[in-house]
Amino acid sequence: METFRNVCPRNCYGTCGIISHVENGMLTKVTGDPKHGFSRGRLCAKGYAYTQFVYNSYRLKYPIIQSPRGSGNWKRISWDDAYNIIAEKILELNDRYGSNLALSYSKFSGNIGLLHFATEGMFNSFGPHTKPFGNLCMGTGEMAIKTSFGKMASPVPEDMAEAKLIVIWGANPAVTNIHQMKFIYAARKKGAKIVVIDPVFTETALKADLYIQIKPGSDAYLSFGIAKLLLEKKTPEHHPEHLNGWEEYKNFLQNNVDMDQICQKTGVKYEYIEKLAELYHNCKPAATWSGFGIQRNKYGGESVEALNSLAALSGNINVVKGGGVYFAHGDIYDFPLNLANFPEKKHPSISQSRLINISNFAAAIRELKEPPVKFLWIASRSPLSQDQNFKAWEELFQEMELIVTVDLYMTNAAKMSDIILPAASHFEEEDLNVGYWHHWLAINEKAIPPYFEAKSDLQIARELTKRLNELSPGFSDFPYDLEPIDWIKKELTPEIKKIYGISSYKDLLDGPRHRKQIETVCEEAFSFHIPKKWNPDAQDKKPYPYRLLSPQSLLKIHSQFSNISWLHPELEETVAEISKKTAEEKDIKDGMKVRIFNGHGTVTATAKINAFLPEDVILVRQTAKNTINRLITTRLHDENNPESTYFYDSFVDISKKEGH
Amino acid sequence: MIKQMGFIFNADACIGCMACEVACRNENKTFANVKWRRVTKISQDSFLSNSCNHCSSPECFRVCPESAFTKRYDGIVLIDSSLCNGCKLCVQACPYDAPQFDYETNKVTKCQMCYPRQDQGLLPACVEACSTAALGLTDLEVFMDPKAVPAIEGFPDIRITQPSIAFYPVRKKERYFLEN
Repeated sequence: METFRNVCPRNCYGTCGIISHVENGMLTKVTGDPKHGFSRGRLCAKGYAYTQFVYNSYRLKYPIIQSPRGSGNWKRISWDDAYNIIAEKILELNDRYGSNLALSYSKFSGNIGLLHFATEGMFNSFGPHTKPFGNLCMGTGEMAIKTSFGKMASPVPEDMAEAKLIVIWGANPAVTNIHQMKFIYAARKKGAKIVVIDPVFTETALKADLYIQIKPGSDAYLSFGIAKLLLEKKTPEHHPEHLNGWEEYKNFLQNNVDMDQICQKTGVKYEYIEKLAELYHNCKPAATWSGFGIQRNKYGGESVEALNSLAALSGNINVVKGGGVYFAHGDIYDFPLNLANFPEKKHPSISQSRLINISNFAAAIRELKEPPVKFLWIASRSPLSQDQNFKAWEELFQEMELIVTVDLYMTNAAKMSDIILPAASHFEEEDLNVGYWHHWLAINEKAIPPYFEAKSDLQIARELTKRLNELSPGFSDFPYDLEPIDWIKKELTPEIKKIYGISSYKDLLDGPRHRKQIETVCEEAFSFHIPKKWNPDAQDKKPYPYRLLSPQSLLKIHSQFSNISWLHPELEETVAEISKKTAEEKDIKDGMKVRIFNGHGTVTATAKINAFLPEDVILVRQTAKNTINRLITTRLHDENNPESTYFYDSFVDISKKEGH
Repeated sequence: MIKQMGFIFNADACIGCMACEVACRNENKTFANVKWRRVTKISQDSFLSNSCNHCSSPECFRVCPESAFTKRYDGIVLIDSSLCNGCKLCVQACPYDAPQFDYETNKVTKCQMCYPRQDQGLLPACVEACSTAALGLTDLEVFMDPKAVPAIEGFPDIRITQPSIAFYPVRKKERYFLEN
């Protein structure tokens, strides 16, 4: 038996270290890497199911092509044929339009290993094309953190164990970040108070010392309410007068924040806001955790900035172990990211790629003319499970002349593609991984040979660019001779080696390494936040009566892991959680089939009554196939900003399905 | 010296993440509906991670017509599945759904507390996997903690078989819910 070091590359807080156990080239077992200081030798349920993720009868084995698109009439083809068909279309479009602007790709976080930027690198090597930018998931919060602190930073999550107060706003680590829970419990053991603020009575809320249910999207209001009461408790000599924007912030709290309005907006009683102010006043250091949930709406940035201000007012932005604002960090940007930033090949007349905000990708691409986009490459994601505005996606698909999907499984998007290329799992490729929550760097070794004919994104980029150059010399300048290990070495610059205290990639073979210096925020760079438009009386018009919340499922990451029988012995079901009142009003019983609908479509689901759900909320955990995202269509305030999608600004109605 | 190895389940710490359940499958390669360990929500406030409790008075042991069950020196209850005739009497007798009938082999299997691991000085896979230390292992012959209790709400009657498990109950929490 041999063992290898792997890293779970899913879009997750954990980025856990894995030890893979291999016998005769087969992955027989996985265990946690005990040298990983965050996950500490443990995995989550999904992680422990990885042998079934790798060896699975649903996994794609060979390149396949279907005709017509969407027919399911798939035929196996050779990699050679697949590359030829793809390359010929790319060259033909280049010939037709005189550039590669008709080529685009939709790639996101299915695998967040650094070598998976090979897709971006490949497109850059073609020269100007149509390029997505932004971040569907956490862009809004990232912008808000940068506005408040001047940079992206998040403290060491292990240090949360030293906090005396932990306030978790709109995050559910018991489901989405299980390894953080031990640090939270360690703090509690030493006397810390754990508070959860969330519209949903989550698994984490169940464990909190104090849970406060809040109306969805009203986090900024609650934090201003807490701040106002906290300010009243502070004697003037304890005011943070030295911080930027203090006077305006103080005046705003004193003159514009009305506690009755705050109570009404948030649904939280005054005595509980008082309780929170008391906790922020008395417990130091306090950790404030801005969860991704609070920023999934059009005021999400305001909420994150308001929490940053509350943390500052309570004296918690200086670097004291356990205090600070937790969101996510940008350690990845310290790396050269040679693949993502691969220089765009020069074009004689076009200076650069057309940029499209990934949060509105399908609709925005469709508006492009001269040339229109005609070729779409999908990798590391299934937009027809996970994105919004499915109508635009479906129309976009119809307008494409060739759609290529790279995936391990037959996703909703793969089903609507012309060609599917089977992707390697992270056990079948080399990679380098750095997370966005903890500060560990780890190497991912190739532990087993590829499953049938699967290939990594990097291998595909190498082989396709080579084929393109054979057919049209000089078409791409991708260095296809470089091996994965060469790209890993290129990421480990002298600066990076210093940051992580390593002399070579080989050091990582002995175990993950923690950053030596953590990027921290400082008071000088901080500025208080006042909302641009403060009008608590304004009511958002709700076209449908229920707000749709669509958080993660415990045993999936978005649409991934849905085919794993250890995790999901039954066929996947879309479950709509509704309040008791909704159930009574609509005459819906537990287990009934229901229709959830709005102007964008209808999704059939199974009803489940949740006694703790706010009355105007319907909660549907994410699924792979019959996905609730069909009902989500939002547009950003400003498409030039890398804001994330306002997933939680979706409204729906519900009814019994006929026959009940 | 006689031992009785048993589980300690801290209901206050368990987050219901199911890592223990799947870690058991990863270790023991049980497929389909054979679940040696299961995580369920047993009450409004608590999850339960439950497997064979390696009882002091195991009913499985008593009812088995083939005498397929044995109890080791350390209290671990084992089944020799090669002796199993598939009668399922143990399945019906166990209050904890521990014996699992495998429809592919027509035989019962169940949690063996990862004794091969324990014999090497390792923890059972489920205990090792628990990131919140909600699931632990101890020798109940010497375990003593006044804060521990013999059962929690929703756990089946312990009087029949005397399961080798101790609990820490859920502590009281403060909660505010919206008044709609």
